Amino acid sequence: MAISAVARETVFALRRQIAKIEGTLPERLQAPAGVPLDADASADLTIVRRGLAAALPDAFLPIGVDPLDAALSGGLPKAALSEIHGLETRDAGAVAGFALSLASLILKQAQGLPVLWIGTTEIFREAGFPYARGLQASFGIGPEQLLFSEAPKLVDALWVAEEAARMTTLAAVILEIRGNPLRLDLTATRRLHARAQSAGRPVFLLRQAAEPEPTAAPVRLIVSPAPAVPRETVAGPLAGSIGRTAFTISIDKSRTALPGQFTLEWNPDERVFDERRGEEGRTGRAKNPVPVVSLSGGRKDPAAAPGAVLAFPAPRSPYAISSATGDQPPPGQRAAHLSPRRAG
Amino acid sequence: MISHRQGNAQRISALDERAEALHLKRDMGIADARAMHPSIDIVEADPEADRRLLEGLADWCDRYTPLVALDGADGLFLDVTGCTHLFGGERAMLDDILSRFFHQGFDVRAGLAPTPGAAWAAARFCGDRIVVSGEEEALLAPLPLAALRIAPETRASLESVGLRTAGAVMAAPRAPLARRFGATLLLRLDQALGRLDEAVSPRLPVAPLSVERHLAEPVTLTEDIERLVGLLATTLKTDLERRGEGARRLALLLFRVDGAVSRIALGTSRPMRDPRLIQKLFHERLAALEQDIDAGYGFDLVRLSVLAAAAFDMAQADLTGEVTDDGADIALFADRIRARLGEGAVLQPVAVESHLPERAVAIVPFSEAPRRTTPPKRPDRVRAPTTIFPPERPIRLFRAPEPIEVPATEMPEGPPLHFRWRRALYRVTRAEGPERIAAEWWRQAPGGAAASTRDYFRIEDADGRRYWLYRQGLYGGSQAAPRWFMHGVFA
Repeated sequence: MAISAVARETVFALRRQIAKIEGTLPERLQAPAGVPLDADASADLTIVRRGLAAALPDAFLPIGVDPLDAALSGGLPKAALSEIHGLETRDAGAVAGFALSLASLILKQAQGLPVLWIGTTEIFREAGFPYARGLQASFGIGPEQLLFSEAPKLVDALWVAEEAARMTTLAAVILEIRGNPLRLDLTATRRLHARAQSAGRPVFLLRQAAEPEPTAAPVRLIVSPAPAVPRETVAGPLAGSIGRTAFTISIDKSRTALPGQFTLEWNPDERVFDERRGEEGRTGRAKNPVPVVSLSGGRKDPAAAPGAVLAFPAPRSPYAISSATGDQPPPGQRAAHLSPRRAG
Repeated sequence: MISHRQGNAQRISALDERAEALHLKRDMGIADARAMHPSIDIVEADPEADRRLLEGLADWCDRYTPLVALDGADGLFLDVTGCTHLFGGERAMLDDILSRFFHQGFDVRAGLAPTPGAAWAAARFCGDRIVVSGEEEALLAPLPLAALRIAPETRASLESVGLRTAGAVMAAPRAPLARRFGATLLLRLDQALGRLDEAVSPRLPVAPLSVERHLAEPVTLTEDIERLVGLLATTLKTDLERRGEGARRLALLLFRVDGAVSRIALGTSRPMRDPRLIQKLFHERLAALEQDIDAGYGFDLVRLSVLAAAAFDMAQADLTGEVTDDGADIALFADRIRARLGEGAVLQPVAVESHLPERAVAIVPFSEAPRRTTPPKRPDRVRAPTTIFPPERPIRLFRAPEPIEVPATEMPEGPPLHFRWRRALYRVTRAEGPERIAAEWWRQAPGGAAASTRDYFRIEDADGRRYWLYRQGLYGGSQAAPRWFMHGVFA
C-alpha cells in the first residue's frame, strides 16, 4: 500500500477536524455487498461520499430499520441537532414517542445517564406533561433517569437547552417548542448544533405544529402517528385491539437521503424499532393463500412447481468461503471508491 | 403634617418643624388645627409604608451587625456586641451611623448602652449618648417615667401618686410597687439597669458564616460585583474547609450608598465550597435579576453569607486529577438553571405508590428529589401485585383532564363512537377498555361524598392517534349523567 497506516490515520483525523469546523455532516459510504468487513475495510468506510468530511463509524445512531438507516446513510447523527416535526399539536404524542424511543436506543449504550426534556409552559399545557409511568413502561426510561425543565418563556427554554447541550453527562436533550417562533431561527439552531457537536451528544428539537423552515439541523424528520396493528395472540390478531405503537416517518431534510416515508413500529419489550411489513409479513402467512401447486384433477399427476430446484451449498460450507475469497481482489487493488481520496 | 384616625376624629399623628412652630401639637384634632391655620397640608398616615421604610432601614443597618430588631413603629435595636471595634470604637461607630443616616435624609436619635432598655432611654430622651456599664442608673434617674418603656396607664397612675421620674421609682420600695403596679414595671426597670437579661430577637436568622468587603469606591457594574463575589467566596472557602462543610444556601447582600439593600439568595443541590462555582451561580442569578437590581450610585458594601451549610463529602480524585462523579456535573447544571429561572426550573419525577394516574408520579424540584445514587429500597412484602400485562399508561398526561363531548356510545358502558375534543371531531376506530380506577377512599374527607369511579379507555382515532379517555360515573344511576374526559395521549 502506498500510504502507511499512520499517515492515513493522520489524514482522517485532519479531515474529521475540518468537518467539525465546517459543520458538515459526517457521511458514510455504504459497504458494497459481498465485501467482507475486516478491520482494514472499516477504516476505509469512514471516507465520505460527498462533503469531504470523515467520521468515525459510531458517529451515527442506527435506528435499526435497514431501509431508513440506509436512506440516512447510517442513521441519525449522534453529535448533532436533529429536528423532529409534528404537523399538528395533537400529534405531540407520536412526536414525543419517536424522540423518546431514540433516547431509549441511546440509553442502551449510555447506561444510567439522564435524559433532559425541556419545554415551554405552553407546550406542556397544550400537549400534556410527560408522564413518567408511561415512559418507563413504553421506553424503559426510569423516573430517576428523567429530568424535566419547564421554562415559562421561549428564551429561557433556549438558554436551558444551550446549557444542556454542552453537557457530556446527559444522554440526550429534548427541546420541545410549539409553532415557528421568531427566536428559534437559524442562529439559535446553529448554536444548539455547535454545542451538540462539541459535546458529542444528540439534541432532539421537537417542533409541534411547525412549518419546516431553514435551520442548522442536518436532519429533519416529520413524524405522524400511524394506525397500530391489532395485538397478536395465539389465535391470531385480536380484533379491535390496539397493538404496538406505530409511527410514520418522512425524511424532510437530509444531506444524503432522498425524501421518503417509512412506517416503523416500536417494540417496547426489546426496545427496538421494527419496520412495518406488508400485510402478509405481519400476520406470518399469506392473506390470500394461493396453492403453490394446483390440485390434481381428472386423475392427473400433480403439476410440478414452476422453476428449477437446485441444491445450493450452505452459506457456511467450505465451498462458499473459498469461492468468495477467490473473487476478492487482493488488498492492494481495491476498488477506487474505497481508497482514501484527497480533499479538494 | 400627617393625620390618623383615632376614635371618631382625625388627629395629628406626626408633624414637622414648621408645623411645630405654628404651635400645633400631636393628638390635636385636625378640625382644630385647620381652624387655627387653614393652609396646613395634611397627609393621611400610611402605617404600612412606614413599616416598609423601617424594614428597609433595618436591612441597611445589617452592615453594622447581623442582630437588628424592629422596635415598635419608629425604632431599631442594633446589638453591636463585639462589632464596634470593626468600626473604630463605639464613638466612631455611633458617629458613622448618625452621619450616614443624616446623609440619607433621616433625622435619627441614637443611644448606645449596655442594656437595650438603657439604650432605648438614651436614644429617646438624651440623644447621641454613650452609656458605659454601671452608668445606667445615673442615666435613668433624672428621666421621666416614659423612659422606662411602660404602658401609659401605669405611667399615669405612677404620676398620680407623685412618682414622676425614673429615679423616684427606683428609690421607692419594690414590694409595694410590684403589688400596686404589676410586675411589668419592675421587669422593665431591672432590664434597663442590667439586673435582668433582655434578648433582642433579630429580624433575620443570623448566618453562620459571612464575609464582607467595604469598598472605598462604590461599584455599579455587574462584572465588578461578580468579581467581588469570587473574592469573597475564596475567603469563605477557608472558613468552610475549617468547619468541614459546604454551603447549601447562600445570600449576597449589596448595600447601596443611599441605603437600599439588595438581597440575592440561591440554593445549591449539593454542599459547595468552590469559589469558581459559587461565582458561576451568582453570575446566573445576577444575569436573571439584571432588570431588578438598580445599582444607582453604586454599592459600597458587599457581603456573602452562608445561610445553611451541610457536611461536605470529600471526593478522592484519581492520579490524573479527575473525579468521576457525573452526578456532581448534573447538580451544578441544575443549580445554574435554578439560579436563573427559579426553584422549579429543573424537575424530576418521583414514583409514588398510588393507582390514581395523576398521583402515581410526583414532580418535585431537582434539589428535593432523592439522590440517584441511592434508589429507594422497597421492602419485598409490600410489592405490588404483578400482572403479566402491565396496564398501558400514556406518555403524556394533561395537567387537568380536559372535558370532551361524547354524543353516543355503542353500549352504555362502552367506549365512545365519536367525541369532540378542543372543538375537533374525532372518529373512534378502535378502543380497548375499560380499565376501572376507583377513587382513593382513604384520602377523601370523612363524611364527604365519594368521588365516582373512572372507566379508562384506550382509543385510536381514524388517523392513528392514540388517546386515553375516561368516563366519570356510570350510566343509569341516580347520579347525574357521566362526563367524559381526555386525560392523556399515547405515543
